[in-house]
Amino acid sequence: MSIKNKLNRLKKHMVNPVFDPPVESKRNLEDSTGERIQHADYWEKFGASAYFFEDDYCIVRKVKYSIDTQWGRYQFSDVLNAVSNWQDVDADHPLHAKNLDAADLLFFDTETTGLSGGAGNTIFMLGMSQIKGDHVLVHQFFLPGPGSEVALYHYFLNHVKELRNLVTYNGKSFDWPQVKTRHTLIRDFVPSLPEFGHFDLLHGARRLWKDTLPAVKLSVVEKEMLGVNRIHDTPGYLAPMLYFQYCNEGDPTLLEGVFQHNEWDVLSLITLYTHMSGIVTGNGFRTERETYESARWFEALNQKEHAMALYQEVLQTGTSLTSQSKKSLAALYKKSDGLEVSVRYWLELLDENDLDEEPAIELSKYYEHIQKDYEKALYFAVMAYSRWKEKKRLTKRKEEQEKQAFARRIERLEQRVIQYS
Amino acid sequence: MFRKKSIQQVMDVLREPELANQIVHWKTIEPREAVSVPLPDSLHPNIQSALLKRGISSLYIHQLSAYEAALRGESFVAVTPTASGKTLCYNLPVLQEVANNPEARALYLFPTKALAQDQKSEMNELIDEMGLDIKSYTYDGDTPANIRQVVRKAGNIVMTNPDMLHAAVLPHHTKWVSLFENLKYVVVDELHTYRGVFGSHVANVIRRLKRICNFYGSDPIFICTSATIANPKELAEQLTGNPMTLINNNGAPAGRKHFLFYNPPVVNKPLNVRRSATLEARNLAKLFLENHIQTIVFARSRVRVEILLTYLQELVKKEFGTKSIQGYRGGYLPKQRRAIEKGLRNGDILGVVSTNALELGVDIGQLHACILTGYPGSIASAWQQAGRAGRRQDESVVIMVASSSPLDQYVIQNPDYFFERSPESARMNPDNLIILVDHLKCASYELPFQEKEKFGDQEIEDVLEFLVDEQVLHKRGKHFYWMNDSFPAHNISLRSASQENVVIIDQSNVADVKVIGEMDRFSSMTLLHEEGIYLHQGTQYQVEKLDYEEKKAFVREVDVDYFTDANLAVSLNVLEVDKETSHEQNAKAYGDVMVVAKATIFKKIKFETHDNIGSGPIHLPEEELHTSATWLTFENNELSDEKLEAGLLGIAHVLRHVAPLFVMCDANDLHVVPQVKAVHNQQPTIFIYDRYPGGIGLSEKVYGSWDTVLDQALAMIQKCPCESGCPSCTGTLEEGNNSKNLAIKLIFQIKGATEHVD
Repeated sequence: MSIKNKLNRLKKHMVNPVFDPPVESKRNLEDSTGERIQHADYWEKFGASAYFFEDDYCIVRKVKYSIDTQWGRYQFSDVLNAVSNWQDVDADHPLHAKNLDAADLLFFDTETTGLSGGAGNTIFMLGMSQIKGDHVLVHQFFLPGPGSEVALYHYFLNHVKELRNLVTYNGKSFDWPQVKTRHTLIRDFVPSLPEFGHFDLLHGARRLWKDTLPAVKLSVVEKEMLGVNRIHDTPGYLAPMLYFQYCNEGDPTLLEGVFQHNEWDVLSLITLYTHMSGIVTGNGFRTERETYESARWFEALNQKEHAMALYQEVLQTGTSLTSQSKKSLAALYKKSDGLEVSVRYWLELLDENDLDEEPAIELSKYYEHIQKDYEKALYFAVMAYSRWKEKKRLTKRKEEQEKQAFARRIERLEQRVIQYS
Repeated sequence: MFRKKSIQQVMDVLREPELANQIVHWKTIEPREAVSVPLPDSLHPNIQSALLKRGISSLYIHQLSAYEAALRGESFVAVTPTASGKTLCYNLPVLQEVANNPEARALYLFPTKALAQDQKSEMNELIDEMGLDIKSYTYDGDTPANIRQVVRKAGNIVMTNPDMLHAAVLPHHTKWVSLFENLKYVVVDELHTYRGVFGSHVANVIRRLKRICNFYGSDPIFICTSATIANPKELAEQLTGNPMTLINNNGAPAGRKHFLFYNPPVVNKPLNVRRSATLEARNLAKLFLENHIQTIVFARSRVRVEILLTYLQELVKKEFGTKSIQGYRGGYLPKQRRAIEKGLRNGDILGVVSTNALELGVDIGQLHACILTGYPGSIASAWQQAGRAGRRQDESVVIMVASSSPLDQYVIQNPDYFFERSPESARMNPDNLIILVDHLKCASYELPFQEKEKFGDQEIEDVLEFLVDEQVLHKRGKHFYWMNDSFPAHNISLRSASQENVVIIDQSNVADVKVIGEMDRFSSMTLLHEEGIYLHQGTQYQVEKLDYEEKKAFVREVDVDYFTDANLAVSLNVLEVDKETSHEQNAKAYGDVMVVAKATIFKKIKFETHDNIGSGPIHLPEEELHTSATWLTFENNELSDEKLEAGLLGIAHVLRHVAPLFVMCDANDLHVVPQVKAVHNQQPTIFIYDRYPGGIGLSEKVYGSWDTVLDQALAMIQKCPCESGCPSCTGTLEEGNNSKNLAIKLIFQIKGATEHVD
């Protein structure tokens, strides 16, 4: 089979941007004096236009994709279902698109001249994607040279008034603080920053996949989880170098790869949001691990019912995470007046695994404090201690503390047994 | 039973002939009365009442002057000896401002983290008693992340150190908008510590600070406080770039102080060798300690500190336990240092042996006696150390024990030099090119430069163009933009040229390997080489392995009766000659040199007797230093190479002490290297170079005054009572060479004058 055929067959798995003619038909590349900006021909060909503000300008580029476009394992349109499925979920969750339309979400990413967040780190590209009716619009704002930031943010803030529903990858601690920093430097010349709300997908990716993936970088998640395979991608870490080279040599073609990288990033965010929402809301396939981690996520958010339902699902369908789920369930039932269920789970756990002392401790507590059956309590305390002794521990000090706790418990129970017999 | 003597009784002991013979000078400094004025009416009523609650019903006159200067909007520097209430000099105007305007902000800079912590507690007590909502925080490496945000947004008073300002505040100025918009005062405490390379760096950090303030529309008043130095106003103006008002009308009282010069007895007449100052200091310290008189002993090097500590702990072991005597120096970890400071204040610790780390205003309460092991190298430093005794109103005693070094002998034999002369000037050179370029990078990172913009008073267009060529900056229109993905402040340390420290790892106990300290790389060449004996808190460790690349020294505890002393070989290459003058007899030049230093061998020296009992090689790579230097070259037709070398070494030995005296700097800041055949001209040459990369203007000063410096050296050698050279003048050499005569002969030869001595 020829490579060409092979490629055609695999085409579905690859990124194939559909280059619609740019949206703005009348492209403006002349300033007020009629002078054409630098590289005007190139920008024109590239589908970009200039936005003028006072004596300066920034470059604006728009790309449209059909909403049916396949992007990895999903079509862009799948995000509509993902958002509407959230409306049925009655729980607080950081991915919850409560009372929102898919079109309200703004998938956002920046390209900067460095990775450290300080006053000298410039954002040279702001990119975002958004559902607009039957298509997805990618909107990029580019800084043609340092010093044109007023024009850039003037355009950005006047055209993107609503920043309440930003979806980013690590935007909470990187992109958004960086936008704030740049804004502070020119705040006297541009509108103030609007209030913003935030879905940071990095946080969720860490929760779901940190034990499964070697790293939770967007590029890894995208490849392993979303089935997005980029061809000839310009890696993000090269972006600063390419921008510097562009500034020094004045060759805008150097940045083609960066524009594309940023475009792909904001598109993958749509797919990633769709995928993660599916996992958490239970619409779509999820692995045992993903179900378990979703349960833990709900538990951490103090959404007990959702957590319990998901742990139950692991118990019923899972294989490797059932004991952990059972333990978590037992603890959750204990907290929500279902102590009898907890006891049943603890007893099962003791049978299933003869290394874990925690269920025995819990049972000992239960018989001591609730049932006042000190002999049973003592029996489980001794069992817990003997299981504990089998294990190896990392730190001496902790070991000593635990040992003393066992000794105290056993001694106390022995006295009670004598006292009440 | 043995009765403890009071300090007066101990002084009577000192007057007994045995000791009195060695005390060559006894100066009593009479107590001084306080000059007080009532609290000014304009002072905010809450501050007045807070002061009254703390028992302060009047101000010293200099505190009032400071307050008034600040109210007039003048930047000022207040010269304040130890325990003269300097904190009120800045706290009053700052609190007054904040009390009237809750938005106002003040930034306090302390040279160390510890000082900021001390000040915060004091400030917060005062604020509590004022009953106003004023927020004062420290901001340093230990500040937890969640507190940092509060400090940035709401801290009226932010106390930090220059390093933190440099690396954590200025590069992130957009997170500190409310501070920079409302900054009314910048307080620089311990101004005198900002000299040399550190001062030059900090002056540039302040240029950056002022640039950022200007961007946010504020123009803070600078308040500095300084120990006694010759040029506080000049130094403050150099550091801050602001015109300064000088406040030096100290009105604080002081107790009677006895200042004694102690010269150890001569033990070797022909060589004029005196008993070791370390051993004498030990005996004197013992006299105080066994009478329960809290005493501080200063030593000039870390090694001396540790040796003295070993001796003294041994002495008091039975009566108080070794814990009652502690060491205190740079290599200790911060936690250890805090514990020691506390122990001194509450009296658990009776004695402390310190390097100059305790010269700074760390509050250790009041000590009665102070012993200086050797002249600390500068008058200002000596007074600072002496100020540790009798900080408040009591009678106190300070003893300076001279070593055999020419400088010590000169000072101790000429008390007028010490008591009559004004202390040294503190020098810095903010325009040192290396330092300037470093900070221009940081400044560009913080805010783009414009064409024609100045940095401080410095024209910088050339440097900016250079950085454009280096592709660090990018010029577009009239602006220079940072165009690099690095974070420049992280690669620039304010404290030293080689910022990377060697950590010292104790592996005596295999199961519990731990880090016990750290040391800068340059010092580690001579103190942490393999087989060296490293002393830490009085415990001896032998260095088993020095991993120079990974910057780790592995040590193991040992118990031996010797210490080690290493030699450093230095070679010099002239890179560029900036100034030159030549005469018939000699040529003098000033310019840039490259110094290559390499540790060569070490000697093992027995405790107590100080005998040399063995030696070994050191295998370490060379360290390079680019700096400025001045050198003197002459033709030699008369002396054999061997004699020439002996003579040169003798002169260099004296110059090492005379040159720093002359330019008024610490002996460590200037190095003297004699060469029989210099690399660049194949002629006998004496180099004097600045110890810091790029130079800070010391050798340049020597260049203009070689003749005077040589005359002083000659006078010193001729005045020395020894026969053929001794450690107090030209040093000792192998048998057969009269280095004293050779040095004198050579100086005459260099000067081109007729020789008067055979």
